[in-house]
Amino acid sequence: MQVYLPIAEMSVDAFLLVGIGFGVGWLSGLFGVGGGFLLTPLLILIGIPSPVAVASGANQTLGASVSGLIAQWRRGNVDPKMGSVLLVGGVLGSLAGVQLFALLRRIGQVDLAVSVFYVVVLGTVGGLMVMESARAILRRRTTARRKLHAHFWIHGLPLKMRFRRSRLYISIIPPFAVGFGIGVLSAVMGVGGGFMLVPAMIYFLGMPTSVVIGTSLFQVVFVAANVTMLQAVQLGTVDILLTMLLLLGGVAGAQFGASMGTRLRGEETRALLGLLVLSVAVSLLWGLLRRPANLFSSGPAL
Amino acid sequence: MIRLVLLLLLAWANPGRAQELPLVAALSQDAVEVTTGFTGTALMVFGSTEGPIGPGGDEVLILARGPTRPVVVRRKVPILGVIWVNGPSARFAGVPGFYFLAGTRPAWQVLPEEERQRNGLGLDSLPLSSTGARSPAFRAALLALESDSGLWVEDPAPVEIAGSRLFHARVPLPAAVPTGDYHVEVLLVRSRRIVARQELAFRVDRVGAADRIATVATEQPFVYGLACVLFAALAGWFGSVLFRRS
Repeated sequence: MQVYLPIAEMSVDAFLLVGIGFGVGWLSGLFGVGGGFLLTPLLILIGIPSPVAVASGANQTLGASVSGLIAQWRRGNVDPKMGSVLLVGGVLGSLAGVQLFALLRRIGQVDLAVSVFYVVVLGTVGGLMVMESARAILRRRTTARRKLHAHFWIHGLPLKMRFRRSRLYISIIPPFAVGFGIGVLSAVMGVGGGFMLVPAMIYFLGMPTSVVIGTSLFQVVFVAANVTMLQAVQLGTVDILLTMLLLLGGVAGAQFGASMGTRLRGEETRALLGLLVLSVAVSLLWGLLRRPANLFSSGPAL
Repeated sequence: MIRLVLLLLLAWANPGRAQELPLVAALSQDAVEVTTGFTGTALMVFGSTEGPIGPGGDEVLILARGPTRPVVVRRKVPILGVIWVNGPSARFAGVPGFYFLAGTRPAWQVLPEEERQRNGLGLDSLPLSSTGARSPAFRAALLALESDSGLWVEDPAPVEIAGSRLFHARVPLPAAVPTGDYHVEVLLVRSRRIVARQELAFRVDRVGAADRIATVATEQPFVYGLACVLFAALAGWFGSVLFRRS
């Protein structure tokens, strides 16, 4: 069934979109991430213009993350104080990111920037995840005791604040910087940033794993809402019909994924997610390196 | 379709009236509605002539043009011979978003070159002025890209003739057709001169939900953004409710 997308100004198969939403929702339920990093490249692949794919991807991430946040909040796994610090950084970061995106669109390098951001970020995160989880799987039998959290230069910064839920007493500069960086990336890549935020919170900020998922969802929901608003107001590229179809499949897919995820062990899940992230990065890198079939492209002049 | 049949009947039943004018033409519809289920459509241009058309007689040319907009054409170049990025670009002003030309015979066969160029009959005679990169390859690329998308069509099939005085042609409008005012010109050519012309028009409009969404998105982007955010949050909440039940 073909459906005409009013903002993208093109007609797409509705079942294809619901199917993509389902697949991405399934994976995001399985791995506990928003899935925006898979969704935006897939949308670009089926011919949705990059600006619309990025903006609508952010909107879909918002919807997908809300249900996760509600579930985590009920279990008390959200650190609102840490979340707010991350969020202030995230909102400022996404403001800067949307400006950067508008500039890239004017000079005609959106596609390049989106691809390069994806290759670099996904390549790095995916590689680290695979390495870390492979090490964890190998180390599983030799039960080595680890310290609660390591102390290094970050803990010497000023402006310290106590985060009770996270059992941390650290400077607000690192979480602010993490939030800002994720905000920029989410505006340019159309992702919530959960897949980067979770490792950053564990390894960089030293937060306990129990509150990491909930707090990252807290940040992702509000940053994605901000990106959606900014993209809608400044660029007019959010397609609500596209979002609606993706969420329709995504909501159902997330349930199947989540129930399957409980049967997988942590290390295996992380290794699989890492491989998935890496393969998306490699396929986008191939797209940049391959000689394009048509050297010319046209677009509306801005 | 009904109008087509009626007009054809009228033309046959009342030849005296048709002969007052050298050329009578009409469109099967004067408005094309783009709904959320729009996948492209086609409209008919049809009419009759005073004298016989076809081999040995007069020729009919049909030209349809959509609203114009500025377009940028970019060429990809390899940086350091490795990564392909958008390099030089040319900006074309007043590029028609839709172009259709058909005739009982191709325009270049029935009109002198100068006359054909002056009337913009043929993709090669479009007045495309560009700023930026100078290479003629950009113009050629624009032609190729628009032709591939089905928005620029030249001589897809000859205008069909029935009974040597009636003609009709199908103008295909793909799903990506831009909205706005369209102009259709029907020309009658006799001995390599344009002897009669009729101008017709139709509109392509978004209607229903597609129109309301696009209107709100452009006129009240803040309200639209807020609606998108609330809608997505609501869908997520609904999902979590469903999840708790099962």
